[in-house]
Amino acid sequence: MSTLTLTLRGALHHPVDLTSVTPNAFAGRSLYEIEQLSLGALRVCDVFAVSGTPGETVAISGSSSYLDYAGAGLDAGTLVFEGSVGNYAATAMKGGRLDIRGDAGAYLASRQSGGLVTVKGAAGDFAGGTRPGDRFGMVGGIVLVDGNVGERAGERMRRGTIITRGSFGAAAGSRMVGGTLWTEKGFGAGPGPMLRRGTLIGPAVERLLPTFSDCGVHDLNILKILNKYIAETLGALAPRPVPVLVRRYAGDLATLGKGEILLPA
Amino acid sequence: MSGGAMQVNGVRIDDTFAEAFGMSALGLVVTADTPRWAMICARTMTGFGTSVIGCGAECGIDREMSPAETPDGRPGVRVLMFGFSPDALVPQLRNRVGQCVLTSPGSACFNGLESATKLGLASGPRFFGDGWQTAKKLGKRRFWRVPVMDGEFVIEDKCGVTTEAVGGGNLLVLGRDRAGLLETTEAAVAAIAKINDVITPFPGGIVRSGSKVGSKYKGAIASTNDAFCPVLKGAVKSDCDPDTIAVLEIVIDGLTSKSVADAMRAGLKAITDMGAAKGVSRVSAGNYGGKLGQHHYHLKDLVA
Repeated sequence: MSTLTLTLRGALHHPVDLTSVTPNAFAGRSLYEIEQLSLGALRVCDVFAVSGTPGETVAISGSSSYLDYAGAGLDAGTLVFEGSVGNYAATAMKGGRLDIRGDAGAYLASRQSGGLVTVKGAAGDFAGGTRPGDRFGMVGGIVLVDGNVGERAGERMRRGTIITRGSFGAAAGSRMVGGTLWTEKGFGAGPGPMLRRGTLIGPAVERLLPTFSDCGVHDLNILKILNKYIAETLGALAPRPVPVLVRRYAGDLATLGKGEILLPA
Repeated sequence: MSGGAMQVNGVRIDDTFAEAFGMSALGLVVTADTPRWAMICARTMTGFGTSVIGCGAECGIDREMSPAETPDGRPGVRVLMFGFSPDALVPQLRNRVGQCVLTSPGSACFNGLESATKLGLASGPRFFGDGWQTAKKLGKRRFWRVPVMDGEFVIEDKCGVTTEAVGGGNLLVLGRDRAGLLETTEAAVAAIAKINDVITPFPGGIVRSGSKVGSKYKGAIASTNDAFCPVLKGAVKSDCDPDTIAVLEIVIDGLTSKSVADAMRAGLKAITDMGAAKGVSRVSAGNYGGKLGQHHYHLKDLVA
């Protein structure tokens, strides 16, 4: 499998838009042509040293919180960031795989509709969340974060799954319309404000909103389906299966109330 | 013995062919907490599904499925439904799933056939939730969760439908002994059950009332196959032998022509393996002269 490597030339002092950095955008081009491609007001060669062979994988060596829109629009192939990236990673991603081996900034996976995003470190606020002017946040695909996720994850998220081996910050699932948030460590305060539909799964919650109502302990078949789907899709990366016997809190009853927070029974 | 007929283990195999028709079909996987309840659910929803003429669809159980094979990791059963067209299957799907699967304790219902063409599997049943139903899309599959009295009924949004299916593969088994004939035919049905993607939709997989097209009575589109009625062998132009006292038919529907041929081959082998000792004398097949059905299965090609 051929890999094209982009090596960051030095520390960045302003944001760089990486929307056009995808395996498909580089396919069939010479290294010179790739170097001349635009990165907003800059060219690729202004920011990166380019080496290797264009193919299914593009690896970005270096780390900067100014590397915005990492993997934005990715539709196929694999994009690997060896370090941290800035805001808006995986925006409108449609397919393929984005590996971030450091941290990701805010608005990770906004409008993502397919593919897999892995983040070795932490993710910022509004992961899977909607941006001003957009109708929805994440609408499909899977995000797997090894570290913690910031506040308001899943803001106006409609579909897809965000899994963290750490915890979600406050107000996870706010205004969420659908999809799944899954934490191995727990939720911060007040998850699900104005949650319409969607599922929040975790071992603990710092504080529940009063507009969530205890529906009792249940053996939910959909969790068996979710566990199996995640195990088959992520393989060795899959988190521990969710226990299927859970206590279900329905909410947010201040709005539609067809969402749920599932905690250990 | 007629010209071209062969004899295997004392059983005569007619030089003839089964004539079968193109059909549409879909597959479903029903699961439950135990294999027993998955089977109860499957049997219920495939009931009254012997003939597309009178039942609207031909339905049957393809096979049991292990927890590893089902989307929810529970025991399951794959059922197949055959009809004249995808449109004709829509009301059958809605009614059978709505009345027999939704109602079955602990059940869930999933697509069991990958196909580019889809039918709405949850189009009717999900509205039983009266507004409390919710959907969860995982990858490319959407699952509806409908609150019911024992928890949630999970049903996949769509199921695949094929128009490449075949209905009406058949074997006619003639015998001198009714009990032995039934035992042998049951063995053939058991052998066919091991072939994937096929069903034998009649009771126990066996038909005792094979039909011919048309009737002397207005309004009846089919009537008894008098040529294979042993009690008429002196009164009509009979296809029975002098010593024939009963004829049983196995009708086979399959998702592909190959699966029907494989099933007929397996059934034929089971019959000839048991041989004439149980009272089976001959195997024939039903056809309409080859002018109506697109698929012809010649018995001589299917003898192992």
